Amino acid sequence: MSTGSSVTIVMIEDDEGHARLIEKNIRRAGISNEIQHFSDGTSALHFLFEHPSGPALNGPALVLLDLNLPDMSGTDILVKLKSDDSPLKRTPVVVLTTTDDKVEIQRCYDLGCNVYITKPVNYESFAQAIRQLGLFLAVIQVPEVEA
Amino acid sequence: MGLEQKSFNRLVVGAVAGGFVAVLLAAGATAWAVRDNQVYSRAVDHTYEVEGAIAQVRVTAEQLEAARRGYMLRPGDTGHRDTYRQMAAAAPALLKKLRGLTADNPRQQEQIDELGKLMALNLIITDASVDKVERGGQVMAIREFQADTSATLLGDIRRITDAMRAEELRLLRVRDQARAQSVITLYGGLAIALILLAFVGIGSLWVIIRYTRELTESRNALRRLNEGLEVAVRERTGDLKRANDEIQRFAYIVSHDLRSPLVNVMGFTAELDTALATLGGFVDKVEKEAPALADGEARHAVKTDLPEAIGFIRTSTQKMDRLINAILQLSRQGRRVLTPESLNMSAILGGVADSLRSLSDQNGAEITVESPMPDVVSDRIAIEQVFSNLLENAVKYSKPGKPNHIVVRGEEHPGRVVYSIADTGRGIDPKDHERIFELFRRSGAQDQRGEGIGLAHVRALVYRLGGLISCESALDQGAVFRVSLPARLLAEQGAGT
Repeated sequence: MSTGSSVTIVMIEDDEGHARLIEKNIRRAGISNEIQHFSDGTSALHFLFEHPSGPALNGPALVLLDLNLPDMSGTDILVKLKSDDSPLKRTPVVVLTTTDDKVEIQRCYDLGCNVYITKPVNYESFAQAIRQLGLFLAVIQVPEVEA
Repeated sequence: MGLEQKSFNRLVVGAVAGGFVAVLLAAGATAWAVRDNQVYSRAVDHTYEVEGAIAQVRVTAEQLEAARRGYMLRPGDTGHRDTYRQMAAAAPALLKKLRGLTADNPRQQEQIDELGKLMALNLIITDASVDKVERGGQVMAIREFQADTSATLLGDIRRITDAMRAEELRLLRVRDQARAQSVITLYGGLAIALILLAFVGIGSLWVIIRYTRELTESRNALRRLNEGLEVAVRERTGDLKRANDEIQRFAYIVSHDLRSPLVNVMGFTAELDTALATLGGFVDKVEKEAPALADGEARHAVKTDLPEAIGFIRTSTQKMDRLINAILQLSRQGRRVLTPESLNMSAILGGVADSLRSLSDQNGAEITVESPMPDVVSDRIAIEQVFSNLLENAVKYSKPGKPNHIVVRGEEHPGRVVYSIADTGRGIDPKDHERIFELFRRSGAQDQRGEGIGLAHVRALVYRLGGLISCESALDQGAVFRVSLPARLLAEQGAGT
C-alpha cells in the first residue's frame, strides 16, 4: 500500500492564474505532493495514460479537472478516466470549475467524478475550499493502479 | 371565371323547374292520349254497335219477307206465321234502338226516318198478305204479292242500310284519321318533353360538374394556402426559437467565461492582500529598528494607498460577480423547462406574504390577499418567483413614516387571469415605468439593497409564461403592478434543448 505522500496530483487547468492559485493554496494547506500541471486535454491524457512516470504506468494519482479546456471538454476526460476498461477508473477525480449549473454537476457525478467543487469568485471561500481539498488529499488513501 | 353562388343557385332552380315542366308536359300528353284512346275505343264500339243494329234491322226485314213468302206458299205451316208475327212485333223496338244509338248524327237520323217509313210501308203490305193467307185467301194473296211493291221496298231498305253502314264506316275512318293525328301529336309532345328533359339533365349535370370542380379546386387552393401558412408559422416559430436559444446560450457562455478571469482578479487580489500584510509588518519593523530608513511615502503607500486600491478592486469585482450571476440566472431561467400544473393561487400568495412577514413588519407594511383568488394553470416555480419579487418590491419600497397597505387581487377574463398588486408605498416616477423592467436599472432614491435584477427577471418570466406585466404609478402615490397570465399554460414542445 502506498501512502498519501507518494500520490501525484495531476492538475488539468487551462487558466494559468487559476492553476497558480490552486497550487498556492494546496501548498499553503501543507500538502507537499508533486503537482503536474497541464493546460490542455491532449497532453494531460497523454501523461495520464502513456507517460512512463504517469499514473497509468507508475504510481497512484489524484486528478484535479477543469471542465472548460481549449481542446476538449473536461467531461470527455472524465469519461475516458472512468470508463470500464480504463486502468485509472479508481483514480479519484475532483472536478473544479466555475459552473454551478445543477445539470452539469449531476452529469459529472453520473460520469463518476468523486468530488465537484465550484470555483467561487469570493476568494475567501475559494481558498477555504482548496484548503479543505488539501486536507482531503492529506487524509485519503488513493488505491493503487491495477497492474 | 367562376360560377357565382347566386347564379349557380338560379341555374339549378331553373333546371329543376324546367325538368318539372317537361315531366308535366309528358304526363299531360300521356293523360290526354289515354283519354283520347278511350274516346276512340268507345267510338269504335259504338260504330260496331250501330253496325250491329243496322244489320239487325236489315236481317229483320229480310226475315219478315222470307217468313211471309214461306207462309204464303205453305199456309198450313203456322211456324212461318208465328215467326213473322214475332219479327213484326220486334221491328219497331229495333228501329228505336238504332235511332237512340245514332241520336248525335242527323244524317243517320234522316236515313232512319226513311228506313222507318219503308219498314212501316212494307209491314202494312206484308201484314195484309199474311192476314189474307190466314183467312184462307192464299191465291188472292199470291196474286197481290206478285203485284205489290214489297220487293222494291226491300231493295230500298237494303240500299238505306248499306248507306247507313257506309256512313258509319266513314265516321270510323274519320275517327281513325283523327286518332292517328293525335298519336302523332302525342309523340311530338313526348319528343319535345324528352328533348327538354335531356337538355335540362345535361345542362344540370354540366353545371353541377363544373360547380363541383370549382368547389374542389377552391378547397384544394384553400388547403394549400392553409398548409403553407402552417409551414410558414412553424418556420417562423422555429427561427424565433433558434434565435432565442442562441441568445440564451450566448448569455450563458459570455457570463460563464467572464467569471473565469474574475476568479483570477479576486484570487490575486487576495494574494496581494496577503503580501501587503507581510509588507506592512516589514514597514513597522523598519520603523522600529532602523528609523533612518523609514520613508513616509512608502509607509503611506503600504498603509493607505494599497489597501484602498485593493478594497476598490474587491468591491468592484464582487459587484461584477453579482451582475454576472444575475445574467447567468436569467439565462438559466430561460433554459428551464416549464411544467404547467394547476396552482392554488391563494395558497401561493399567502405563502409568499408569510415569507416576507419580518421585512413587512420592519417596514410598516401589511399584505392583504383578497379572496376568492382565481387559480391558474402555470409553472409553479416561475409564478412563485414573479409574485415574491413583486411583493418584496412592494414591501421594500414603503414610504418611511407612512403605512403601506398592499392588496393582491385577482380577476378572471376569458382565457386569462389578471393579478394586481397595489401598494401605498413611495411610488415610481412615470418616466421610469419602462426602465424599471430593464436589467440593472433602478428608479428613485438608491436607499435599498439590490442590483436592478428583480423586475427584469419578473418580466422575462412573465413573458415566458405567455403573459404581460404593466405598471401604474406616480411618485408618492403608491404603485399597481398588473400581471396578466393565460389561464392555462400549454406544455412546451421540445423545450429545454
